[in-house]
Amino acid sequence: MSSRPESLAKSTFNDKTSPIKANRGLRRIVVVLLIISTVLTVFYGAISLYISTQLVYAPQKPIYATPASLGLQFQYVTFPSRVDHVQLRGWFIPGVLPNGKLTTQRAIVFVHGTRTNRADKAAGLLDLSGAIAKNGFAVLAFDMRGSGESPPAPLSLGYFEQRDVLGAVDFLQSGPLPYPALGRPRIIGGWGVSMGAATLVMATAQEPAIRAIVSDCAYADIIPILEREVPKGGHLPGLFTPGALLLTQALFGVNFYADRPVDYVAQIAPRPILFIHGADDHYIPPVNMDILAAAARSAHNAHVQTWSVPGADHAQSFNTQGKVYVDRIITFYTAALGPDSGAA
Amino acid sequence: MQAKMSFSGNNTWRGLLIGFVPLALLVVIVVIALTVTALIRQLFDQSGFFVVQQAALITLIAGLVIALVIFVVAIVLTLRRVTAWQQIGAMKSSRAALWALGLTAFMVILPVIVAFVLPQNPAP
Repeated sequence: MSSRPESLAKSTFNDKTSPIKANRGLRRIVVVLLIISTVLTVFYGAISLYISTQLVYAPQKPIYATPASLGLQFQYVTFPSRVDHVQLRGWFIPGVLPNGKLTTQRAIVFVHGTRTNRADKAAGLLDLSGAIAKNGFAVLAFDMRGSGESPPAPLSLGYFEQRDVLGAVDFLQSGPLPYPALGRPRIIGGWGVSMGAATLVMATAQEPAIRAIVSDCAYADIIPILEREVPKGGHLPGLFTPGALLLTQALFGVNFYADRPVDYVAQIAPRPILFIHGADDHYIPPVNMDILAAAARSAHNAHVQTWSVPGADHAQSFNTQGKVYVDRIITFYTAALGPDSGAA
Repeated sequence: MQAKMSFSGNNTWRGLLIGFVPLALLVVIVVIALTVTALIRQLFDQSGFFVVQQAALITLIAGLVIALVIFVVAIVLTLRRVTAWQQIGAMKSSRAALWALGLTAFMVILPVIVAFVLPQNPAP
């Protein structure tokens, strides 16, 4: 009899304490989860933030030589990019006709690759621009923002640099060109390598004044390249790449996910495109040319040529082929832009 | 009976609401930090890349640190309230708040999980 109230009291006590114990257990689990999730997310954010700052900055390389070293006349020029008016530095080289006369009737906008400049020694840009000028085409070679002698800017792999190419076209059409006696270019073409080629494709899709382009080893979409290069550069797993790319957008307004020339290239038709890609390109795989060419050909009135250069690594097609390369692009430009009348 | 059910229902909702306060604060402050960073970037746009970079970086880091501090303080306060509820026997409120905090932990780690499972196709 006497044990009944005791057992009742015990039972009542257990009823109250077991939910409390359960809640305490839940509380411990929640606290541990909160600590782990917060620490991991802060760590992820910090690493991603560091990567994003490294991704958009590269020390600017000085110009090592000028067209004068090739015996060519040229003038330094400065012009603003379209939209945001970044003051870009470059040089304007008049074309040289077989009779030695200078001409600016047909102008080629030269667009260099990433982390280099308008004279890019490794890709032979100065020699190539000189060779094109010696074949009767004026050349506007300039440093994109954040490169060479142009002002520092975030590297956006084409996202902002498109405006630089469009600014170059504006300059040729209405800017204070040197050699006023030669007049303004009658027709404009473009040549770009690597990031410059991808940028040129995206800019040409928006600017009908660019009548023909040569795209040397452009990427179809930058994201697969970044998904390979970001982990490789930072010796980190790939899961940091999306975080770094999103923070780059938050910090610098750069949307790498929009750097997709493959989405724009069909808009260039009916203007001719010559795609060139090194068959041994280990940086931007040659399949990128196939993807771009297929996308360009999806337009019903497309004029697309491709050239896979045997034995050429990234941005080395000109260095590998030399005069063959020059002859090929001069033939392309002459067919696409027409001949020079020979009259200044 | 009706009053009792209504009371216990209110307790659960109150627990959930209190439990989600840290997450709500975190989201709001992070959104504000991102917006202010974008505004700062626009403001310093003509001052050159390095100034813009410094200003945007300082603003974003400061915003995220503030968000983190407020988030931690809000969690500590919520856990204290949970303890108080447990002491007065308001088990439904405390349990609901703890579940909300557990969900908060999941939401906080969600971007990392998404980054981990997001399909990537790196170039060869």
